[in-house]
Amino acid sequence: MRRTALRSIAAANAVLALAAGLEAARRPHYGGELRVEMRAAVASLDPAVVPDDPAALGAQRQWMPFVFETLVSLDDQGRARPWLATSWTHDTARKAWIFQVRKNVKLHDGSIWSPPGGSVMVPDARPIEQILRELAGARSAVVVKAEDGSLLGTGPFRIAKWEPGKAASLVAHDQYWGGRPFLDSIGVQMGRSLADQASDFQIGKVDAVEIAARDLRASKQRGTTIASTQPMETVALQFDGSRVPAPVRQALSLSIDRTAILNVLLQKQGEISGALLPRWLTGYSFLFPGERDLGKTKQLVPAPQSLTFGYDRQDPVIRPIAERIAVNASEAGITLRQGTGAMDVRLVRLPVTASDAWLTLQDLTALLKVVAPSPAADPYEAEKALIESSGVIPLFHLPRGWLLSSRVKNWPRLEEVWLDAGASQ
Amino acid sequence: MTFRTKLLFISSFMVAGAVALVTGAVSISTRRAFDTIDRERREALLTQFRDELAARSVELARRVELAAASPGVQQIAAGAAEYDRAQTEAASADLDFLDVVEPNLTIISSAHWSARFGYQNDWQIASDDWHTSEVFLARIPTPEGSAMALTAVRPVVGGKALVAGGRRLSPELLKSLGVAPGMRALLWLPPGEVIDAEGSVRDAQKLAPLIQEVRSTNREATGSVQWTPDRRGSEAFLALPITRAGSLTGVLLAGTSLSTQLGLERSILRTGVVVGASGIVIGVLLGWWTTERITRPVERLAAGARAVAGGDLSARVEVLSRDEIGELAHAFNRMTEQLLEQRERAIQAERVAAWRELARRLAHELKNPLFPLQITIENLQRARESSEFDEVFRESTTTLLAELGNLKTIIGRFSDFAKMPAPQFETVDINEIVRSVMKLNDARLQAEGQVKVEPRLELASGGTQIQADPDQLRRALGNLVLNALDAMPEGGTLLVRTVLHDGSVRLEVSDSGQGLTDEECQRLFTPYYTTKQHGTGLGLAIVQSVVSDHRGKISVSGASGRGTTFTIDLPLTQADLMVVTGEPA
Repeated sequence: MRRTALRSIAAANAVLALAAGLEAARRPHYGGELRVEMRAAVASLDPAVVPDDPAALGAQRQWMPFVFETLVSLDDQGRARPWLATSWTHDTARKAWIFQVRKNVKLHDGSIWSPPGGSVMVPDARPIEQILRELAGARSAVVVKAEDGSLLGTGPFRIAKWEPGKAASLVAHDQYWGGRPFLDSIGVQMGRSLADQASDFQIGKVDAVEIAARDLRASKQRGTTIASTQPMETVALQFDGSRVPAPVRQALSLSIDRTAILNVLLQKQGEISGALLPRWLTGYSFLFPGERDLGKTKQLVPAPQSLTFGYDRQDPVIRPIAERIAVNASEAGITLRQGTGAMDVRLVRLPVTASDAWLTLQDLTALLKVVAPSPAADPYEAEKALIESSGVIPLFHLPRGWLLSSRVKNWPRLEEVWLDAGASQ
Repeated sequence: MTFRTKLLFISSFMVAGAVALVTGAVSISTRRAFDTIDRERREALLTQFRDELAARSVELARRVELAAASPGVQQIAAGAAEYDRAQTEAASADLDFLDVVEPNLTIISSAHWSARFGYQNDWQIASDDWHTSEVFLARIPTPEGSAMALTAVRPVVGGKALVAGGRRLSPELLKSLGVAPGMRALLWLPPGEVIDAEGSVRDAQKLAPLIQEVRSTNREATGSVQWTPDRRGSEAFLALPITRAGSLTGVLLAGTSLSTQLGLERSILRTGVVVGASGIVIGVLLGWWTTERITRPVERLAAGARAVAGGDLSARVEVLSRDEIGELAHAFNRMTEQLLEQRERAIQAERVAAWRELARRLAHELKNPLFPLQITIENLQRARESSEFDEVFRESTTTLLAELGNLKTIIGRFSDFAKMPAPQFETVDINEIVRSVMKLNDARLQAEGQVKVEPRLELASGGTQIQADPDQLRRALGNLVLNALDAMPEGGTLLVRTVLHDGSVRLEVSDSGQGLTDEECQRLFTPYYTTKQHGTGLGLAIVQSVVSDHRGKISVSGASGRGTTFTIDLPLTQADLMVVTGEPA
């Protein structure tokens, strides 16, 4: 009986020890390398460099805050909040704003980042909301050039290795003012197609890969860990305005059966829109129409038209949409044929680079090489003007999706992500 | 053209004609044989294509049925699969085209054009018999255009949808036919695509007339296409319509490169030409040899005849055979022998006749003076006793001397004729000869009491220099003038003409006397023949002798009552004779 009791106590202790171990494994802990792959090929994280490629621009804007930080940041609702600056006030003449910076902020080389006087003066008489929005933008990030020419930031990760467009290695900034991130490092492989990423994920070679929006539902049904964002991409037709008359552009837009594309090709992931910016960012996207009207296309283009049509045939998201658009367009008497060189129209993916409409529009104007709207302008009017001047017809807004291994926790904020050592890879 | 040349031409022509005929016949026969073989090969290819198509149809029907029964297609039909799932099913069934469609033919999923979901399957319903046909040809729309395919439609198990599957009519189908070298199979597919085993055919528009003929008649047709400027780039085609429900869905073309055929034909033609040419050359040589053998005796006969015609009656022809030519040669030889004998006999007879004529003339000429001599001598004998003897003696001796003189003259003439000297040629003006002779006869022409004969000279102006013996020429012309004067006892006109005639000088002496009969004309130059009462018959013989010695010709013409004309043609030069220059001695 006593022996039996002892055995029971020992077993209970073992169970408790195991439970304690499991509990410890579930708690965030330091260490490990997060392996990530992505489609974009980013040449540099330098905020001063604005990539021409939309995918690269989107990726740069996504990764840059983890290395280079700004005085203020925007939350998910686009509201400014203190970041490297802890407070701000205007001078007595109300001609400049003075930002008090956070103390003991260290750069990646371990040195203290301390502006002269412990504050940053912004000589700008505009309303503070506009100034804060600009300061939250990537272009306003704090970047210090080291003696060896490398760029130093204050973010939770520093760049240990950077092969432009191919691979990067970010390691934890041990003296990060917000506390050392859980991850020791992040290995990033760039320029990987979605198929390659899926293949690498299947064999456990990588922890996080991108996934096409249309595959989100199927992956979720299969029980795979996925993460998706708000619509962060705009699928749009970009016309060469000098070669394609406005009625033809409008007719092509009206010929597209967006509903069928969203339901079938995108598996209802995303939203139909005629706006550049998604609804969650602006709230007015419904003001830009996106319905199909074949009857009107016949009025706009009574004679058959032929346009050269370009798109990334390797992009599994873009390609089926483009093929469907070509089928729809043929019903309107518009033949879209693939060609080389300068195209009459291209199907592109434009990134939503910030949680602020104005900042995103600013990046899009750079990307589309049109005149940037005034910061004081109404966002709706600015977006409308941008659509008209750039020859872009937005079609859909798509979420960004990630396929995650089971050991990845707290995605997507990388400074808070940790790896569950007990989970299978 | 000689007999040998004619014979050679005829034999050569016949040989050449025969060779050309044989060569042409062989060439035509060869071409027909090639055409027959080509047609048979093309028909075999068409049969092979039909068999291959039938085999593929069976295989396709099986694949589509398998696809229709597959779980994947059933998921698509149930709406439980992604829009492009048909691609996976098409790959599994090894189909190039696959549409899963609702009963109303709305595409649920399309393997070859995934973006066409929700649209009507228009290639399947393009023909009314799609639901009854086992397998049919259809043009299937694709993003890259359209493609011709062998297709079949089967219901999905459960009947909720249909599966339309197809396999592309690709160059591989044509390649699988394993055509013979120099041949190829082409497939024309509407609206205008032409493929062969290598892919799309360039310059396919050159086939348009042939295809148009098939399309308009819906029957097979033949034709050829010249792909390159060189004829060797030509290709002969047999075109066969491929129909579905009575309408044309394609045209199969079986082509044969004419390069090999043309090469063979040219080779045969070249060989024919070489053999023909060799045959012609050999034929001509044989003809020449045969002709030479045939005509050689004839030519010898001709040469003998020419020799005989030239006066050589001793010519003989060698008898080389016993055939007709040999008999002819033999007869020729006998003829010439007889001619020679006859001529000798004639000469002998003529010589005898001449001697008789000479004897008669001599007797006649000598008898005339002998009779006075006899009378005179008898008178002298009778007067020997009379007193008048002296006077008779004187008269008789005078008479005797006169008659003896006559005898001497007669004998002198005969002696002169017998002693005609060889002419001494020198350059003389025949007009001067004429003038000098006429001057010698002036006295007779102008003598009192004589009948009036009017002399007329018509002399050529210039170019009358000839090479001649002036003395003999004067003598001959003098004889002719005297004869003319004797021929005009009643008076008349004496015409002497000189004219340049065909490289010689013609001298004509005409009188207006009684003229001569034909018989007289023929015998006129015979020695001792005369038409005059007291002529010796030597004058014209001397004239003929002189003209002959000068290599000239003399002839006489005239008719009874219309005068006589003697014509002498003398050559301007005596090339091979010695010419005496300077003044005559």
